[in-house]
Amino acid sequence: MNQRFKPAETFRRDFTFRNSDEAVLRFPFPFPEDSYMYSVNIEPHTPGGPTAAFQAAFDVDEHYVAECAERAIVLEEDPGRCKVLPHMMAAQWDTLELIMESFARDYPQDFSLTKEGTNWVWENRPLGIKQSFVFGDAKTLPCEPFEYITRQAQGDFTLQDQREDNLFVDGGMVTTQADWSLEFNIGMTFHEWHGPVPLAHQLGVFDRALKFLMRLQYGQPVRRLNWTMTINPRLDTSPENYPLWGTDRTTVTPENVAEKVFLRVELQTLFRLPRSNAILFGIRCYLLSVADIARVEKWGKRLHRVLLDLPTELQDYKGLTRYRQTVVDYLAPLDDGAPLPSGIAPGQTAL
Amino acid sequence: MPVSGIVSRPTYEALAIDPAGRRHLFVADHAFEPDPGVFAALPSEAPVELWRALAEARVGSGAGPRANALARDFRSTTQLLDALAYRLERERVGLRLYAVGLESFVWDVARLARGLGMDSSEYRLSHVGSNRRRVYCVHCRAITENVATNVVACSGCGANLFVRDHFSRRLAAFMGFQIDAEAPGEVPPIEEAFP
Ligand code: HEM
Repeated sequence: MNQRFKPAETFRRDFTFRNSDEAVLRFPFPFPEDSYMYSVNIEPHTPGGPTAAFQAAFDVDEHYVAECAERAIVLEEDPGRCKVLPHMMAAQWDTLELIMESFARDYPQDFSLTKEGTNWVWENRPLGIKQSFVFGDAKTLPCEPFEYITRQAQGDFTLQDQREDNLFVDGGMVTTQADWSLEFNIGMTFHEWHGPVPLAHQLGVFDRALKFLMRLQYGQPVRRLNWTMTINPRLDTSPENYPLWGTDRTTVTPENVAEKVFLRVELQTLFRLPRSNAILFGIRCYLLSVADIARVEKWGKRLHRVLLDLPTELQDYKGLTRYRQTVVDYLAPLDDGAPLPSGIAPGQTAL
Repeated sequence: MPVSGIVSRPTYEALAIDPAGRRHLFVADHAFEPDPGVFAALPSEAPVELWRALAEARVGSGAGPRANALARDFRSTTQLLDALAYRLERERVGLRLYAVGLESFVWDVARLARGLGMDSSEYRLSHVGSNRRRVYCVHCRAITENVATNVVACSGCGANLFVRDHFSRRLAAFMGFQIDAEAPGEVPPIEEAFP
């Protein structure tokens, strides 16, 4: 097994997930300024960027093997977390091709793809998979192509069909989500599925974002960051399982806050797909404890300032109400109030 | 935490005839009596049918005239939707379908029509009657019908479901989630919310 992966980590029960120093420094910290409000924060998804998380089309990090195992657990309990409407078959193959080609290009030591016409061979060394199949023939894979490839990737994925001047979420693999349900949302339009988000509709954020996405070009993917907070390093904070994780929010104390509360960041990427003209939306989730954030001086101070005057609508929507003050109190002594440079880079190369 | 001001809920317009239709089928979940003005707007050669579910076992004497339409009564919405599926499978272009009734009923009709190849310009939905909601439990996927209160016990798992203003047209239902998941037993006062 490749040394760079930590296959035994868990995201439930005993929560053995930890970030190495390297993982801390590559975290896609989401706050370029001292305050936060929704905006159309979309930029080209080109390699590079303020931390190493932005290097690849689809980032593979030290948690890769463990996250694929966690996804398999969720799907075993609830196969409905992966669902694609029947008219999206071309988009399924587009997705498989895009992820396989990107992985093989960005991580040649871990993945390879060989093609002879439509006869393809896929090798995934971290997961010990070697699969020959015929591109375009779903019977030659163990499951449908979208499920097949997203079981081997970190983060959630959804497929958007473009028609009637709108985007419809007509498929997805959703096992590591921040409290939204694919089963409930599948088939909705852009504004419908964003229905519950406060303030952003009134600010025109969704009107502008949809306009932008309708014109998204093949070969010119874009990205944005979204964030919330999670108690314990739990990936499956689905509404389906809210009865199992809801009580976690009442367990935060001044003694355990630094280890128990995690900043949860989604590196969201959007790709136009070539055959189907659909859009693939990748929602790559990163977790970093408040304790680890505080090890990066700039991030600790900035998180303190953002949480201090986060609008109450956002606090409620993100579910922070019960424990936000405890986090603020923990971070306050670390913040001297000195001005911070804008941008999200950590500003240090070692911890 | 419940947050208000949610936008996925559909809005409805008053029932109006689409003059482009060559045949018109009205379906209702109650003893709907159309406003004669609605039918008067139709060209006389376009036939109109009126199907009504009456929630009553002693109906079913075949079709007969009513308010310039050919009318059929059904015992339940289930029976009506069954007959509607059979009918739409055999329809050709030119039909206009109008659903009148509770939100859950009109979206059941829309789902059936879409599934059988009609597009949204070929059917119209008109919500009349109570605001009671069909609630989908996001935890166990059971449906609880005719919900009038802000919080309701799930018919499937028994959780105290808070009824959110988030509506799925595909499920023809609002989302319900366990209101006391964070603090078991802390349930807000139950009030009539959807009369
Ligand atoms: C096209 C693919 C996209 C999908 C499938 C998607 C899906 C979602 C979903 C399911 C939610 C949670 C809603 C709920 O509470 O039920 C959400 C939240 C949100 N989305 Fe999107 N979204 C997409 C693109 C975008 C884009 C391009 C923007 C750009 C502005 C955006 C902005 C937001 C914001 C601001 C929130 C609130 C997040 C929070 O406060 O945690 N989304 N999105």
